[in-house]
Amino acid sequence: MKSKYILPLLLLAASALSSCHTLEEKISPAGILIAGTAVEDRIDMSYNFFLNHNDDFELLISDGDYTFLVGADSHVTTDPGRMDEMLAIGLKDDDLFYAHLGDIADTKARYYITLDSLLQEGKKRYVAKHYTEIDPFHYVANTNSDDHPLTSTYDEITFPFFPVVGNHDITRNGWALWSSIFHSSFYEIDVVVMLPDGDIAIDHLIFLDSASGTLGQTQIKLIEEGVLNGKYLKGGYRNTFVFSHTNIFRPQFNEFASTFTREETFYLLDKFEEWNVTCVFCGHVHTWDERNYNGVHYLTLDAMCERNNPDPGDYLVRVHVDSDGTVGWSPVHMDYTPKH
Amino acid sequence: MKKRYVVLLLLFLFPLSGSFANAQVYSGERKFDGIHRNEVSGNLSGGFNVVTGWFIGEAGTYTRHFTDRWSLSAGQQVQFLKWLYSADVMGTYRLPLGRTNLYFDGRLVNNFYTQWDQYEILINASAFWETAHFDLRLGMSYIRYYKYKIKEEYQWFTDAGYTEPPTITFGLGLNLLPRTSSWNLGLFLRNYDQFYYENWNINWGVRFHTTLPWDAMKLFGEFNVRPAGSLSQLATRYETSLKLGIKYAW
Repeated sequence: MKSKYILPLLLLAASALSSCHTLEEKISPAGILIAGTAVEDRIDMSYNFFLNHNDDFELLISDGDYTFLVGADSHVTTDPGRMDEMLAIGLKDDDLFYAHLGDIADTKARYYITLDSLLQEGKKRYVAKHYTEIDPFHYVANTNSDDHPLTSTYDEITFPFFPVVGNHDITRNGWALWSSIFHSSFYEIDVVVMLPDGDIAIDHLIFLDSASGTLGQTQIKLIEEGVLNGKYLKGGYRNTFVFSHTNIFRPQFNEFASTFTREETFYLLDKFEEWNVTCVFCGHVHTWDERNYNGVHYLTLDAMCERNNPDPGDYLVRVHVDSDGTVGWSPVHMDYTPKH
Repeated sequence: MKKRYVVLLLLFLFPLSGSFANAQVYSGERKFDGIHRNEVSGNLSGGFNVVTGWFIGEAGTYTRHFTDRWSLSAGQQVQFLKWLYSADVMGTYRLPLGRTNLYFDGRLVNNFYTQWDQYEILINASAFWETAHFDLRLGMSYIRYYKYKIKEEYQWFTDAGYTEPPTITFGLGLNLLPRTSSWNLGLFLRNYDQFYYENWNINWGVRFHTTLPWDAMKLFGEFNVRPAGSLSQLATRYETSLKLGIKYAW
């Protein structure tokens, strides 16, 4: 065989071998950057955890107006200053919950140890502010006016920090690290709002796993089965907010982050409309973008990561939900600058 | 007389069997052969998509070579079960560069994703450099999509539509044998396919073509892998498909 044919033949053989993997769950055209756990496995794990630990995803309760704080792409490494600042801002301003849009830490075990310590400390501060210790093992919420209030142990109190998983969270053994802290990448939470007239309204929070640039077959199947659409709710949800890592819209020409493929983009746009979503929050592209598409509002957040944005800036978003259901948002300034 | 029957047979059979094809899949030489001014190509496709499930489809293109430099093509595609309908027109100018050819393509594509009532219109301008063993495409796409059935209270141009920032088009193909061979095998890597142009999501695979016993008729095909999250995320299974078609010139 002529030597000039050897290289093309080797390339063809490599392609054929790689093509076999298309029948498996995950592939990589470059042969690098293969996730340890693919989206189908993550959804299987997440949904099973969600089904078996429903108590961990307890209802959030609000008296009328409430706010929540959203951040994206913190990429925590050795300096968790911005994450610490996000937790402090939410605590100071009494946000009902935090939502993080993925790429929370780069995938090294020591970064996750740092992150976990930060969240544990955040929970301590949250419990100290919002709960009263009635004995060494039990706490009662400060908002509780009942004469015989329900008590909780420290472990039973949920720190309202709800993340989605990002593509940087699943490199190498990232999913093992991420899931050891947050457990589920596909879940929903209801916010029960006590209205002034004594009635209640329910707002809906949907957290999607888009870390692989696709929801994958299992997640789409669960969505199509109605797992997240709240059809059991009489009257439906008042507001629905969706949190997802991968951005739908590309803010600028020179953004090189992959978005969803064509069909999946159109599927999601249609699904968000069907869910009557008020606002979709995305990250991933590290650039701010805001737009409407057929009645749904889309916010893509800039990265709060110190390395990407070392200067202070408006990297967080606070969403204001009034008791009449009106929704608005405002940028939240972060002052922390890297130590180096 | 014989050629006329073949053309009529192709025109009749391909729509019935669900097939007409697009020259984008054909990996042999594109230039006018000096004799046959008309080309028609058609292909069947089938595969699996994570969002839509199994699908089958057909695509077809007619090309007219006005001179050895200028040509015009028009094509269409239907992907059943995915319920995607496409149509395009493309004008091409060929600039000979030694033994190679540099093509300048201007293309208008319409896609209608009926499952989700989304209509996409795109303009692509790209240069395609074709050598004996490899080809390279570089260009730019301008893509706009909008909801076909919009809520009454929204103006379609402002709220129900989205124009993407200009998107780079890139593609690379490698051939085992020189392009003029009667048969060939090759590899490709690109961020577009027959009727769609992506951002940074690439598709890649193996392609082939061979001359059939009948003069001026070619059989071609490709195995196409289209991962999600290709370049800036962890590539994950999204779509796998096969295409098989015939190109005939007269």
